[in-house]
Amino acid sequence: MMATVNQEVSKELFAPADIDHSSSERIAGESVSAWRDSLRRYVKSVPAMVSTIIIALTIVLSIVGPHFFGYGIDDQNINLQNMPPKIPGLTWIPAFDGKYQGVDVYAQKHIKKAYWFGTDALGRDIWTRTWSGTRISLIIALVATLVDIFIGVTYGSISGYIGGKTDTIMQRIIEIIAGIPSLVWIILLILIMQPGLFAITVAITATSWIGMARLIRGEMMKLKNQEFVLASRTLGAKNSRIIFRHLIPNSLGMIIINTMFSIPTAIFFEAFLSFIGLGIRRPQASLGSMINEGFRVLMIYPYQILFPGVIISLLLICFNLMGDGLRDAFDPKLRR
Amino acid sequence: MDKILEVKDLNVIFHIFKADVQAVRGVNFELNKGETLAIVGESGSGKSVTSKAIMGLIPNPPGEITKGSSILFEGKDLVNYTEKQMEKVRGKEISMIFQDPMTALNPTMKIGKQIMEGLVKHQGMSKQDARNRAIELLKLVGIPKPEQRVDEYPHQFSGGMRQRVVIAIALACNPKILIADEPTTALDVTIQAQILDLMRDLQKKTGTAIVLITHDLGVVANMAQRVAVMYGGKVVETGLIDEIFYNPKHPYTWGLLSSMPKLHAKMDKLLAIPGSPPDLADPPKGCPFAARCPYAMKVCTNHMPEYTELSATQKAACWLLDERAPKVAPPETIGVGGNQNG
Amino acid sequence: MVRFILKRTGYMLVTFYIVLTLTFLSMKLLPGTPFKQAQKLTPQQLNTLKSYYGLNDPIPVQYVRYVWNFIHGDMGGSFQYGNEPVTDFLFARFPISLQLGINAMIVGTVLGILLGIVAGINRGKSLDWGSTMVAIIGVSIPSFVLAAILQFFFSVYWRIFPVAGWGGFMYQALPTLALAIGVTAQVARFMRTEMVEVLNQDYIVTAQAKGLSRATVIYKHAVRNAMIPVITIVPPMTAAVVTGSLVIENIFNIPGIGSQFVDSIVTNDYPMIMGTTELYALLYIVSLLVVDILYQLVDPRMRVTGGKA
Repeated sequence: MMATVNQEVSKELFAPADIDHSSSERIAGESVSAWRDSLRRYVKSVPAMVSTIIIALTIVLSIVGPHFFGYGIDDQNINLQNMPPKIPGLTWIPAFDGKYQGVDVYAQKHIKKAYWFGTDALGRDIWTRTWSGTRISLIIALVATLVDIFIGVTYGSISGYIGGKTDTIMQRIIEIIAGIPSLVWIILLILIMQPGLFAITVAITATSWIGMARLIRGEMMKLKNQEFVLASRTLGAKNSRIIFRHLIPNSLGMIIINTMFSIPTAIFFEAFLSFIGLGIRRPQASLGSMINEGFRVLMIYPYQILFPGVIISLLLICFNLMGDGLRDAFDPKLRR
Repeated sequence: MDKILEVKDLNVIFHIFKADVQAVRGVNFELNKGETLAIVGESGSGKSVTSKAIMGLIPNPPGEITKGSSILFEGKDLVNYTEKQMEKVRGKEISMIFQDPMTALNPTMKIGKQIMEGLVKHQGMSKQDARNRAIELLKLVGIPKPEQRVDEYPHQFSGGMRQRVVIAIALACNPKILIADEPTTALDVTIQAQILDLMRDLQKKTGTAIVLITHDLGVVANMAQRVAVMYGGKVVETGLIDEIFYNPKHPYTWGLLSSMPKLHAKMDKLLAIPGSPPDLADPPKGCPFAARCPYAMKVCTNHMPEYTELSATQKAACWLLDERAPKVAPPETIGVGGNQNG
Repeated sequence: MVRFILKRTGYMLVTFYIVLTLTFLSMKLLPGTPFKQAQKLTPQQLNTLKSYYGLNDPIPVQYVRYVWNFIHGDMGGSFQYGNEPVTDFLFARFPISLQLGINAMIVGTVLGILLGIVAGINRGKSLDWGSTMVAIIGVSIPSFVLAAILQFFFSVYWRIFPVAGWGGFMYQALPTLALAIGVTAQVARFMRTEMVEVLNQDYIVTAQAKGLSRATVIYKHAVRNAMIPVITIVPPMTAAVVTGSLVIENIFNIPGIGSQFVDSIVTNDYPMIMGTTELYALLYIVSLLVVDILYQLVDPRMRVTGGKA
């Protein structure tokens, strides 16, 4: 009746085993804090890491770049108009050989120094202008995004946490604002305030906080009814403590992800406004205003639009990739 | 009896995050024509993966049915079937019904059309014929006013009604085997009984063999003729329903039976099996249940017991059945009708 | 359903009314006078002009007149074109912009859906990675940079398409492409997410279990369900296309309202700016309404409950 018995199994093995039953409830694997875990996932994502490095490099260059050659952003030199780009040591690359339609302009004009990105129609150094333009674009994007987080988080928290009538009214207001295309808002605001750094920042903020506010409201509504908040309230925690110690920290991932997508939007709108003539005014330069100037001479001197165009595209791509990476890292459920 | 399905040494591995999860490890069972076989086990025991493997619905990657496994359907090995060949088996020869009727139906397609799809594909019916058959099927599964409801969308049906629709879809082409994966788990208790009644009735009419996958021994007692108990990706005990309920031999089966709430017994609390199932990414060398088994011996941790044939129909894989092992009586808590044979 | 449409239309009118008020207020807040050579005029002359245009009346009176005129299709006269009615300009130029916008939406949506499907069903494989990359680049590169690139290579360098102007296919190809790529990218990202989500649904397994072929399962069950939510991104797409068309029309010198708008900004032609702004707002608001209604029609789950799920 018995099946074949394993020969290697000896009699004494049939003694009761001393198995620690409590150990069967043990959770295998090392425990890692949620933040560490997210960071680990983020670092593993190649596109996100490459983007981070590119953005870091761009930021460094936007700080030190304008001081490389000692030109001011609006220093004009009528004798050196539209000089093609030339980088000593890289002249084997057609884009940096200092030649225009086959003619070495630098030799022709007997110029020793090299303009790495060339000069524009007013003889201004494009290298200097590109990096200071990048700086302005980044500053606008950063300020607009910070204000946008502040307003959005405040508005969203109040609306979502208090709920009821307050929430209804606040949501109606948002609905109406969202019903108007952001372009319309931005243009009206800028016309009233006069184009400039401040006006652009305000105008971009005026529309972008809505997304954040909606997101935070949703998170608040979801979180505030969860057990741990209830537990905290049962223990006598005040509203402010619940909001700042429980709700906002738990929405932090969401806030960071959304921020990463707000920055490129802000960079885009600044460039867009500068391109249509509602943005940064001379003597300042931004990537958008430079693309606008470069576009006017696109047919003759295409290199003038190349550098600001490449940098803005690179920045936007990298910020978006960083955003994607962060989203995957913070919320693997969203990873699809 | 005629074997219609024979699963031999089925191994399924999922390659996930560097780890290989061995969800099913050498499962053997067979299904006879017209009978109901229940596969019982807790979550993660491999029962659902087994059913998906039979249907050829293991996503690859990450899933893989390893070499040496075979699933013989009427003598032909489905493991070697191509996707195109499998399409002709699914829905026509072997059908499946799922756990959650709320999500198992396409929300944007009329239910009639969802029933008709299989008919048009497998039986080459015209649209009109398929529609008439769909109405017939709806009537068969007990949906009132089928002529009208055939043109409705899933959200217009209640949970129980949807499960009837799912059953109608599965039975549309008179399959030889019906795999029911926890068909009543997501339903209300009263509806559960109705659906089980319906399945039994339909089985009588159509002679379809059923593989019933469940963790609910109450459902098993109601429906099945034979039971296979799965644990840790293996079948640990199998037998006729009476053998499993009245003369179980594996300590895990004892645990399952003990944890089943009983109406007439005096019990202070529900009995649970302490511990959690083994990690199948790193399965134990020996008996998968050893870590939770109150009768575990030294041999259990490192040596997988072989099956002991207890009768022509019952076998179990446990070292306690070895002649050298101490004699252990099953706990009284399993008691359905006592255990005369000790 | 009718009640729903009425309610939504009501919301729409309220929103548009607010836009109208906002544009009026910003007109009043704009610095300087609307008259070209105000400095050269004596205060008396200026006063005569102002009262001629009704600018001396109390603000509420002006406001009521403004709304009244708007309802009767009068948006005032353009400053830069000798007081010619703004509406004439808009009517003459709008069809061109509309054509361009619709081109871009159609091309972009079709390409985007295809790209999204390909990415979704090949999740995690190189095709998915590739189309996701294309989508991210498409979303990221500003339309005006893209337009400049296209123009430089296709018109200046290879001379395949005309540099600028408006007309038949040859003229429409580049601007349509430049506008469509942003739309493609948006739709593709969205569609991919939806595809992946839908392919994980139980009813896909049900469909497979019926023995349907993979192609049928994807086409009849997955794609259809995944496409429904794509409708919801039509309004942001409209907004993106309108924003894009401002610069694209300018770059390709297309006589639509976008290039007109940029001109009016440069020349401080306030009535024209306001008129165009209102038109854009109307367009956007209507697209929101259309989406709401479409969603009701397309998704059977919505029809009975009649509300948002």
